[in-house]
Parts: sequence; C-alpha cells; structure tokens
Amino acid sequence: MVEVLRDNLGALWGGVVTTLEITAMAFVGAVVVGVLVAVFRVSPIPPLRALGAVYVELFRNVPLLSLLILTAYGLPYLGVDLSLFTTAVVCLLLVSASFTCEAVRAGINGVPVGQAEAARAIGMTFTQSLAGVILPQALRTMVQPLVNIFIGVVLGSSMAAAVAVPELTYTAQQIGNETAESMLMFVISAIVYIVIALLGGATGSVLERRLAVRR
Amino acid sequence: MSEALSRRSLLRLSGLSALAVAATGGLAACGNDTSALSGNQTDVSAYDQIIADGPVADEAAVAASPWATKIKESGTLRMGGSDAGPLFSMKDPATGKLTGFDAGLAQLLSHYITGKADGPIALTISTVDTRETLIQNGTVDVVVATYSITPQRAEKVAFAGPYYRSGDAVMIKADTTGISGVQDLDGKTVATQQGSTAADRITKVAPGAKVSLFPDDAQCLAALKTDRVDAYVIDQSILISNASTDDTVKVVGEPFSDDYYGIGLTRDDATAKEFVNTFLTEIFSGGAWLNMWKATIGTVVTGEEPKPPEIGSAPGS
Repeated sequence: MVEVLRDNLGALWGGVVTTLEITAMAFVGAVVVGVLVAVFRVSPIPPLRALGAVYVELFRNVPLLSLLILTAYGLPYLGVDLSLFTTAVVCLLLVSASFTCEAVRAGINGVPVGQAEAARAIGMTFTQSLAGVILPQALRTMVQPLVNIFIGVVLGSSMAAAVAVPELTYTAQQIGNETAESMLMFVISAIVYIVIALLGGATGSVLERRLAVRR
Repeated sequence: MSEALSRRSLLRLSGLSALAVAATGGLAACGNDTSALSGNQTDVSAYDQIIADGPVADEAAVAASPWATKIKESGTLRMGGSDAGPLFSMKDPATGKLTGFDAGLAQLLSHYITGKADGPIALTISTVDTRETLIQNGTVDVVVATYSITPQRAEKVAFAGPYYRSGDAVMIKADTTGISGVQDLDGKTVATQQGSTAADRITKVAPGAKVSLFPDDAQCLAALKTDRVDAYVIDQSILISNASTDDTVKVVGEPFSDDYYGIGLTRDDATAKEFVNTFLTEIFSGGAWLNMWKATIGTVVTGEEPKPPEIGSAPGS
C-alpha cells in the first residue's frame, strides 16, 4: 500500500495540479460570467433579462456529464475543436456561472430596496447605482454561497475524468487499475478533495470577516 | 429596476423549471415506445440453445465446493460484468436480454452449477474500479468482464482460466494515412478503454504514443471519429465489430499483443477456482466454448476458429 503511494506520487501530484488548474479557471470564469448574467437579469432592458433567464435555465438544468459529452464529441461536428482540457473548463464554467448568477441575484435582492431608491433619487444611473451601491453590499452577503459554488466546482472537476482529462480522479482511477488498489486510490483522492474544499471554505470565512461592515 | 428585482421574477423562474420538468418527463415517456433498436447481432435462440446444451456438474462435485453449493442453493449465479460491451456482454435495450461471450460463459457456468436450462444470472454492473472489491466483499460470485489476468490483481482475487486470448489491434479513421499498425503510433495520440491493459503495451511498442483512457467503447469511438485521437486500440474483435457497422473507421495491422481474460473469483475459498477451472475444461473439450465464440465474437471475426487457451497459462492464473 505504501509502495503503491510512493511509486505513483508524481503521477498523483500531476493529477492534483490539473484539478487545481481546472478549478481555478472555471471558478474565476464562473464568477465573472455569473455576475455579468446576474446584471443582465436585474437590468431594466427586457431582452437582456430574457437572455439572462434563458442562460440560467439552460445551464443550471443540464447534467454536467451530458454537457461534457456533447461539447467533447458533438461540437467537433460543427467545426468547433476545443481540447479536452478546455472542454472541461468551459463546461464547468458555464454550469457554475448559472449558479453564481442566482447567488448574486439573491444577494442583490437582499439589499434593501430603499438603497436603490436613494441612489436613484440622487441622480445615479442604473450602472452607477449597481456598481457603487448595490453590488458592494450584495457581494458581502454572497461569500458563503460563493464558497458553496467553489466546492461545487472542485467536486464537479472530477467529471472531467469522463472525457479523459488527466485530473485527480482520472489519475487515481488509472493508478488503481494498474495496481489493483482502486479503493485505496478513491480514499486518497477523496482526502485531497476534502482538503481543497476546506481550504476554500477557510478562505471564505477570512474574506467574510474582512468584508463585514462594522456598524 | 425595482420592478426587475421584484418577487415576480422568482415566480416566473419556478414556472419555467416546472415546464422543463414536464418536458423531460414527456420525452422520457416517448422513449419507451421507440426503442426497437437491437443492440446485438447475436441469434438469440441459437445462443440460448448453447446454454441449455451445456454440461452440468454432478452432485458430488458441487457438494465438494462450499462456493458452488451456495450458488446452487440460491439458484442464481451473481455475476459482475458489463451491459455495454459489444460482443462480450451487451444488454439489448428493447428486451433487456444480456448476450455476449462473457455473459454466455457466465450463463453456462450458472447452468453447470444449478442445472437450470436458462442458466439464470443476476448482473451487477462492475467497473474497472470496483471489480476486485465486488469479489472481495462477496457482492458477486464471479466477475466475467474481459478481465485481464495480471499478477497485481491476482493478489486480491483468484483467476480461473484463462478462457480467452485477446489480441489488441489498431483502429483508425478510414481516411487516415500513414498508420498501418502499432509501430506507426509513435508520436500519435491513442485512445483505449479505462481498465484495459492496452495502455502499457502501446507505450512498450511505441514509446512516443500519448495514450488517453476513455470510459467505454462508445466514447473511444467518438473520440476517434471527432479527431481527438489518431487511433483507437483495443481487442481486435471489438474493433472489427465497430468497423462492421461503421464505414468511417477501419482496422489496420495484425493483433500485436497477448492478453488473457480470466474469471475473477474469491481467494477465500480455494475450491471456487478449482471448480470453475473444471467447468472451463469441460466446455473447452465439449464444444460449448467454441459454439459460444461462434455465436458472439465469431459473428464478426472471420478466419480460423480459435483454440481455447491452456488453463493456468497466464501469470496470475
């Protein structure tokens, strides 16, 4: 057992790095896209609101695995060739952005409506009031929902194994298969996922304390 | 803005999700009526006849093995295997019937132990990750799942057999040039199935090949057809089966490896391996093995009839 670990530590580490890369890119992308779509959804322009709603309902309600398979093997028929790694990042990003959007929207809705009215009363435009008044307050309440989404991205990245992206789960399965130690490898990868998720949670708690408004 | 932020949007949202759920439900209901597709070329009645005609162990032989006695008492052989493996173990979605070389051998074994003509089996889907564990914790009696015998695996489970010699071959797209066998795979990307032992062997023959592992045959094929990989390497019979229904791909070169499949069994009861090896010897000599091969793999592979491998000839068996 110890031998299996020692002999494959390099390969496992490679898997962890790939998992971290997918997670980082997909999460940062999801926050950017998610905030953007949330702004669409609360904007005063009906077509933008509709676009935002369609986006969320589409990507929130398709299983990540279906999306991965469709993107990996369907898009090439339409002439779109993404690498499998890019496929995994893009799919995870698109799905997570739909959840981020809803978390952001909930955060925005959590800001008392008087704030928006006051901003408008002093002559701020929609963009000004959103960027200067609403979002800064909304983002504070969103730290924990965003931690949830981060954990969703970490765990969701394991689905990339299904399209042969050599991340942690894929590497663990491969080593498990070669050494007939599958259960051990699943235990190890579970521990690594827990550690990554806990680090995300801890970062969230620190952020939340830093951002808290002292009243 | 205040209108856009109102609770009405929330209501609209839940209405939309309800619609989506209704739509998917409707689709699923339609699906039941349209599944007239047959997943296998196997002639089912001839296949069933081979199982019914197979050998039956005598009472004393079953009684001598606690492992076999338990199966006989339950009346069903609990098998770990696949339902998505062309030629070896594939379920027809229309009838729910499992056929294939591996499935057939499991049914012959069930018939051998229980004496029931239809050789009843209860399938638990096993994956490369779970095969050893399913045997070790007693969830299944046997694993018959294109299970390559390796010394590492033999430390966890016992292998009866080998019962089949697999040779990996190379499949490419029909319009690909410059690949005529495994020796040309240096510097190419190659798909194979997770859990196949092909990955190791490809890099031995072609050290510069980059191997990607996909979960099953369908995905390996999709990866090849969408140019994600240059070639697909797996047991030749599976490749021939794919090529027989799809003329955008072709098989090149001769099989370049020897891979032996065994029946995975518990190590806790030594009589299990002994018993199944006796069973294999009987179907090898009695003709049931060859008939089962003809009814399944033999429907796509042409040329000489295969000879059964020698019991115990693979390292780990």
